[in-house]
Amino acid sequence: MSNGANVTGRRVLLGGAAAGAAMLAMPRIAGAQAKVIRVGMPTILSGRVAILGTSSRAAVQYAFGRINEAGGLGGRTLQLVERDSKGRPDEAAKVTRDLINNDGCEIIIDGEASSGGFAVHEVVRDLPVLCIHTNSETSSLTADPKLHVKTAFRCARQGIHDAVAGGVYASGISKQRGLKRWMTCSPDYAYGRDNTAEFLEFAKMYDPAIEVVDQVWPRLFAPDYTENITKALQVKPQAMYSALWGGDLVSFIEQSNLYRLFPNVALFSSSLGDPPVLTAIKQLPAGLHTAYRYNRNYPEKPANTAFADGFTALAKHEPTNWAWQNYVAAQFIAEALKRTNGRTEGAALAAELKGMQISSGLAVEEKLTLRDTDHTLIGYPTAWGRTVPKAPFVEDFAPIPWSQILEMETQWKKQKGYA
Amino acid sequence: MRAGLMRDLGLGLIGLVLLLALPALFPHPSLRDFLIYVIAYGLLAMSLNLLVGLTGLVSFGHAAYFASGAYVFGLLMQGGAVSIPVAMLAAVGGTALLALVIGAICVRLKEIYFSFITLAFQMFIHSIILTWVDLTGGDQGLRGGIPRPPFLGIDLGDAGTLYAFCAVVFVACLLVMRQVWQSPFGYTLRMIRDNPARANFLGVDVVRMKLGVFVLAGTMASVAGIIMALFVSGAFPEFGFWTTSGEAIFMIMLGGTQVFLGPVIGAFLLQLLNHYVTIWTHHHGLVLGIVILAIVLGLRRGVADYAMAWLADRRAAAAPPATPAKAAAPAETKAAG
Repeated sequence: MSNGANVTGRRVLLGGAAAGAAMLAMPRIAGAQAKVIRVGMPTILSGRVAILGTSSRAAVQYAFGRINEAGGLGGRTLQLVERDSKGRPDEAAKVTRDLINNDGCEIIIDGEASSGGFAVHEVVRDLPVLCIHTNSETSSLTADPKLHVKTAFRCARQGIHDAVAGGVYASGISKQRGLKRWMTCSPDYAYGRDNTAEFLEFAKMYDPAIEVVDQVWPRLFAPDYTENITKALQVKPQAMYSALWGGDLVSFIEQSNLYRLFPNVALFSSSLGDPPVLTAIKQLPAGLHTAYRYNRNYPEKPANTAFADGFTALAKHEPTNWAWQNYVAAQFIAEALKRTNGRTEGAALAAELKGMQISSGLAVEEKLTLRDTDHTLIGYPTAWGRTVPKAPFVEDFAPIPWSQILEMETQWKKQKGYA
Repeated sequence: MRAGLMRDLGLGLIGLVLLLALPALFPHPSLRDFLIYVIAYGLLAMSLNLLVGLTGLVSFGHAAYFASGAYVFGLLMQGGAVSIPVAMLAAVGGTALLALVIGAICVRLKEIYFSFITLAFQMFIHSIILTWVDLTGGDQGLRGGIPRPPFLGIDLGDAGTLYAFCAVVFVACLLVMRQVWQSPFGYTLRMIRDNPARANFLGVDVVRMKLGVFVLAGTMASVAGIIMALFVSGAFPEFGFWTTSGEAIFMIMLGGTQVFLGPVIGAFLLQLLNHYVTIWTHHHGLVLGIVILAIVLGLRRGVADYAMAWLADRRAAAAPPATPAKAAAPAETKAAG
């Protein structure tokens, strides 16, 4: 009796193992054979920065919904398949491979933050489907020719563009108001330090009178900035630059309000202009300087307002910086698919996307361009504006000419050995 | 001992054949990817279990060696001066040296103090990775991919070959750990786990023994890191963060500490749950927490430990009444795993 039970147990175990392996091996949906074009999105959908992924997803769903309602692309509809990487680069690599190999995704919209973006980039080097990075702002991803991947593009703002724009804007204000004593307060990790160094480099280039009297580096996701604020009160700078972002920036500004820091110090922030940050601050001080992240009133075009309304209806909050970048990426993909008559091979789509221009409500002028030399987006808003306590929270946007940004970018590339 | 070695070699060979046959039977790339992931994290958990299950040393900082293996290997391959085997040997050797230095300090402490100093060293190494941007790429990780030039006719750029290579390395590491598990050294470690004072009284150099297994565990973790670096073609600071160590401890809790392959089973279950739960919901943390809670509260031990105890009970119930001479035999089961 007991022997029989043992044999049965082993059979059940072996059967279960085989069934498990078969389940793992079976693709959930044979997307390639369907009328649907499946587009995969690895992104961060849980944890502290989940809004990065949720707003990216909503933007692509909104764009695909509009395309599908209009009849799709040659009879084929677009479907988004998203996966949570939990902010882990190795998980981002794994889920991207799964999206391509298991879920039949023929195109990838990489909604990862920077380190995850680099991991996805290497997957696409191995599995050459079309990939558009939509959230990584690290310049080297597309600027460094050693990292170039033929089927990978970036449809997002870029660190070097923001640095030049910030430097031009800040130096103009500093000359006008005589702001010579500067301090910085940025998160203590590579992005925070690089972003701050690049901002200062260009600000000093345009206004050599700028002197940095102190720099403080609170740790990432720090809950308390009292130490940094009291240091600023001691040092008494005339202006402060901060690369803090998200919840960290909200905490920093609210705690600074308690010490009445901003009536005496002009704040320049690279990330304050994101609507979720602006609305999270209970008492937003007027007159803080911020880079454009997203604003329904800028660029002042009906298409931008329509995007803001459509996105808000779907996501129940205003678009984020990540949202417009993903929305534009979806538009580029749709245009490329139109031009290839629905062919989804990475090389064919990449050939169409190189140098592609599309009319967009998010363009500073008429068109956004995916530059052919380094597969990156140009022509997007890089303006700086000033805060006001009520919606739309930022106004008086001062555009920075793209010709000036591109000129300085070329010099920067030569310095870095990228050009 | 010789018979045991032959049996282990035979079982290892069967395991390897099974691992190699699976992608042939189910030729789908995602299965291959999934198994490489299980192999890497399974090896990390197995190596940690040399400390937790075998020696009673709960390390919270084991991922430091996982990261060390990945980064040293990745940097050497990006340098382009050495082949893959040489880079692997250098990464393993360098990590062994790192584990020797850290272990020489850590193993002198006991219980929670040991756990926390290992965590402190891990955070120290993680900080170095984040701040030494010129070398490690900081929080962006090693960029530009890890080259995989062919060696001895083996091209790891081919996904199937990479899988086979990982499977062979995995089984070889398991065999090494199995020999330690079953050796007099392994039984000495169990004695240290159960009663260090008695082991010391019997003449065992407890610190040296602990240091030996600490270095071995770190070395094996570095191999896991190399496999992961090869798979994702990069190395990232998250490899050396405390959450990676915590995940390895979860795998051990899930699979069990006393059955040799328990941690690999735990790694398989955790990755399987993670894979499917992530597809269907973004509240994966909640679902995984409930499953782990159910296992911990329901089984009160790892799955493999529970299954082994259940099988032992069934055998005992089915066997004829034991004679007094045989009554002592069950005492050996704990170590037999």
